[in-house]
Amino acid sequence: MLEVKDIQKTFGSLTAVDDLNFTIKPGEIMGLIGQNGAGKTTTFRIILKLLTPDKGDVFWNEHHLTTKTFDKIGYLPEERGLYPKVSIENQLLYFAQLRGKKKSEIKPLIDQWLDRFEVKGKKTDKVKTLSKGNQQKVQLISTLIHQPELIILDEPFSGLDPVNAELLEDGIREAKANGACIIFSSHNMNNIEELCDSLIMLKDGKPVLNGTVRDIRQQFGRTKLFLESDLTPEELHLFPGVKSVEKTNDGIDVVYLTETEDGKAIFNAATKDGYIPTFSQQPPTLEEIFKRLAGEKNE
Amino acid sequence: MNKYWVITKEVYKKNIKSFGFLIMVLSPLIVVAFIAGLTYYFSQEEQQTPDLPIAVIAEDEGIDQLFSNEEWNLEVNEAIETEQEAEEALLDESIGGYLVAEVVDGTIQAELVHTNELSDQSPMIQEALSTYQTMLRADQLDLAPEAVLALSEPALLENRLINIDEGTLMEEDFADQFIQQGGAYFVSIAIMIFIMTYAGIIAEEVANEKGTRIMEVILSSASATNHFFGKLTGVMLILLTQLAIYAVVGGAAYLYFRDFQFIQDIVGGVDIASILQELMGYTLIFFIAGVLMYVVLAAFFGSLATKMEDVNKAVTPIIFLALTGFYVGMFALSAPDNSFVAVFSYIPLFTPFVMPFRIAAGTVSTLGIWLSIFGTVGFAIVISIISLAFYRSNVLIYSDTNLLGTIKRSWSIMQSNRKARRQQA
Repeated sequence: MLEVKDIQKTFGSLTAVDDLNFTIKPGEIMGLIGQNGAGKTTTFRIILKLLTPDKGDVFWNEHHLTTKTFDKIGYLPEERGLYPKVSIENQLLYFAQLRGKKKSEIKPLIDQWLDRFEVKGKKTDKVKTLSKGNQQKVQLISTLIHQPELIILDEPFSGLDPVNAELLEDGIREAKANGACIIFSSHNMNNIEELCDSLIMLKDGKPVLNGTVRDIRQQFGRTKLFLESDLTPEELHLFPGVKSVEKTNDGIDVVYLTETEDGKAIFNAATKDGYIPTFSQQPPTLEEIFKRLAGEKNE
Repeated sequence: MNKYWVITKEVYKKNIKSFGFLIMVLSPLIVVAFIAGLTYYFSQEEQQTPDLPIAVIAEDEGIDQLFSNEEWNLEVNEAIETEQEAEEALLDESIGGYLVAEVVDGTIQAELVHTNELSDQSPMIQEALSTYQTMLRADQLDLAPEAVLALSEPALLENRLINIDEGTLMEEDFADQFIQQGGAYFVSIAIMIFIMTYAGIIAEEVANEKGTRIMEVILSSASATNHFFGKLTGVMLILLTQLAIYAVVGGAAYLYFRDFQFIQDIVGGVDIASILQELMGYTLIFFIAGVLMYVVLAAFFGSLATKMEDVNKAVTPIIFLALTGFYVGMFALSAPDNSFVAVFSYIPLFTPFVMPFRIAAGTVSTLGIWLSIFGTVGFAIVISIISLAFYRSNVLIYSDTNLLGTIKRSWSIMQSNRKARRQQA
């Protein structure tokens, strides 16, 4: 179990991370979102002990996370890199050895991992002969092959096509099933919604969202209404609490409300003659929440 | 396996198997072989020229016999008996020159006619003739052979080289000094070459890992200390491998070629054992400390670079430092007493280049030598510690500012981490 408690880190006058708290239990996935420069990479570097926090602590299984925990970590940095002139096999063996594994433990696993991630190329090929996508997959394998208990992935989906993204999602799900604590950052909210049990959004180093995806969406209220009825936009505007109305290409009205309760009056009016094909009142998507929070000025 | 050794092994294996290493090891060997070949070729050329025989035209039987003696390495064309024949033979270049000699009243009057081919042989010929003349005159004066020997015995002149050292006259062994200076010169050049090569290798290693972000993965797997010293050890092992290859190749070449006349001509006067002894002494200490110091600095500067392409820019300061040392060393070769040289010989970064010349010239006391050795080794340890401290924060900085800017930011990260650790403690 990973516990981050009251973390604060400043560089001179810049506060990189402030008042950050979270816990990831075994078999849980946490998403870390935020704009560029919000403090995600700093958070990862603090967990990885590359940086020392000014305040607060990181705990692994209720003890301070120390260099002794390193062997249990799998880390994929944001910008990808491998040794271009070293073969796939030697590369994977080297990184696994640095995580405290023996060559003989890892060697038999390499083929099946390369198969699973559909890496095109022989394991004796030098990395520089592989395409960028395949290099990225080799690096993912090197992050996961030693079966880490704490997996930290910085923007793992960036640059992957949908097929490879699917392979990565499967890989993450399998690690979760094996009981690993997983934390990853992403700019793609779909990945977060699909995979994460909980998420944190950082803004200027401070957490502005913290909780499960469902709870976070709910706390913003069901203020987005998808409606297919006889009501015209002009009529909709007359209801109390309606902020705006948009029409989608499919002819569905999207009504933005102030409160969840504002939907009831519209429902009653729309269904007074019985059946309508669409009435769906939803909380805002993560992406909308993200944009809204990121756009807000600091108080 | 210990992570330190995992890193050391990886660095070593990767480099040893590279094409660059092969080139690095072979190129000096090729240069040496080329120079040796060239020297051999020219010496053969030189030896061939006086191979032409000479003619000796003398009425006196004794003079004739003098030169037909086997011990002479001059070949005498006995068929030529007159000056006219000799001139013809000289024209068609079948002889290199001719000697006309006659004895007039116990005095030998001789003329050596040649096209400057026999200049080297001329003193030898004169000496032979003089000896013969002495014998002739001794005969006239009825002197016993012992008396002749006694008369012709040269006076003894011994050269005693001394050195003025701190107000006293010191005995100086000339051969020893020559060897020491040669050793110092050799070490100076070797340090220069090895620094250039190995500073490049380690700076590239570090900058490559930093540029590709492998560094972050490694430093979250192993401690910065393990990584830094693992890399250093790996690179130093590559250096030792290169030296070992040279030792083996050199030894084998010596055993194989030592019976060749040409090699004996060159090596004959030199005591190889004493050269090796010289190299194994202070010189070796300076060599290793020197390379180590610069390699540590190179790792530090390499960790400042953001991309591989910046490596050359990052190691430039080191190259300049080494060049400065090298030129002061060359200056020390000609002016080992200079006070400027004396000061530089105690500055650790320059000690390996300058001190060997001062030792060779005998202008430094044993205490001074040991002071400089402790200084150099101590400095190497201090910069290792400082470099390591910076290393950890250097590798997290990716900026386009200049080196100084990067060092400043690295310093602030280091301070921030240190402050944080103090607060937590």
